[in-house]
Amino acid sequence: MSEHHEVNYKKIYVTLLFLLVVSIVGPEFGVVWVTLVTAFGVALIKAYLVIENFMHLRWEKRLMKWMLAATVGILMLFFFGVAPDVMRHDGHNWVNDAAIAAVERGIGGAEVEGEAGPVVAEEAEPGVFSASTAFNQACAACHGQVGDGNGPAGAALDPAPANFTDPAFWAERDRERIHLVIRDGAVAAGGSPLMVPWRNTYNEEQIESLTDYVMGFQP
Amino acid sequence: MSHAKPIATLRTATGIPTGRLAVWWLLASEMVIFGGLILSYLMHRLGHPEWADAAAVTNTVIGATNTFVLLTSSFTAVLAHQAAEQGDGKKAAKFLVLTMGGALTFLCIKAYEWWSEISHGYTIASHTFWSFYYMMSGLHALHVIAGGIIMGIVALDAFRGRELQRVELIGIYWHFVDVIWIFLFPLLYIAK
Repeated sequence: MSEHHEVNYKKIYVTLLFLLVVSIVGPEFGVVWVTLVTAFGVALIKAYLVIENFMHLRWEKRLMKWMLAATVGILMLFFFGVAPDVMRHDGHNWVNDAAIAAVERGIGGAEVEGEAGPVVAEEAEPGVFSASTAFNQACAACHGQVGDGNGPAGAALDPAPANFTDPAFWAERDRERIHLVIRDGAVAAGGSPLMVPWRNTYNEEQIESLTDYVMGFQP
Repeated sequence: MSHAKPIATLRTATGIPTGRLAVWWLLASEMVIFGGLILSYLMHRLGHPEWADAAAVTNTVIGATNTFVLLTSSFTAVLAHQAAEQGDGKKAAKFLVLTMGGALTFLCIKAYEWWSEISHGYTIASHTFWSFYYMMSGLHALHVIAGGIIMGIVALDAFRGRELQRVELIGIYWHFVDVIWIFLFPLLYIAK
């Protein structure tokens, strides 16, 4: 309280806003290193400006800086101790099959989707309903874009998401039941509560069209 | 009631006022909590290029707006500190109330964002990316709520000209909350 620091807070604030604009515009170019510099490099500069000028760490006793540096040191120890096992998916004597499979499925899915990018962005056109878009948005996360039950979000689910490309799946299912499960959830047909009802998201007509889409996976 | 300052704000072995020392200690532990989460996210994200699809769903405009809101609230928090240093409790309280307005705005935008994501089926259980997303921004939002409440208490005191040293303390905490968001923004919204 007793120390008075001559900082032009307004200038710092305006600089921070300018840097915010840089971090938003930079990644629009789609160049990897520009994104890294403008998003993460700029974040570091912004954090530095706030910590030094707003939190006044600049004038704080050295003890405090060492204390904070120690926590950063502990974090680095954690990161470099664990990261090799998490970031790599194989080593001399081990292979992380689940992680490799997740990456392959994810990348495969992205290729099917093409350069179009975000699935939700397509939803921006109001009034236009497409069963394939809706399936990719709402169902593919678990059931997979090709309906094989291998969506990235489904990997951890028990029971596993239904595989629509499996003939055994269709042995005891008809159109009526698919429609019922999409509308009211699998519980309505004695199945798992993990398959939630979609009646609040899609209207009857849209559920009809989604049912047709799912029927299309039948081998 | 005595007008002498409580001994806790005077006695110090480190040369740092005790209250401020305590806030820095708190932030040091917060750094490990948020840092651990952010670094865990980072190593998974780097190991799983396919997460880019999930990250592409988050709304950059909303993220950027909230960054703007928090940067602005940090600015008003530091102006409150400046006013408190000049002994102007009423002015400090005014700036703290503005900062609380920033906190509230942030939370409203966050609530809308979560609502729209959850209603599209992106829940905490739909993908590990979303687990990290809700965990990190949820923990951050809890800090915003806590900061807003404490700021209200400090502002009431400051308005009556009491405990002006606390304006700086809540300010330091608030800037920390801002700094965490500065890192969450590119991690969750920009990197695709």
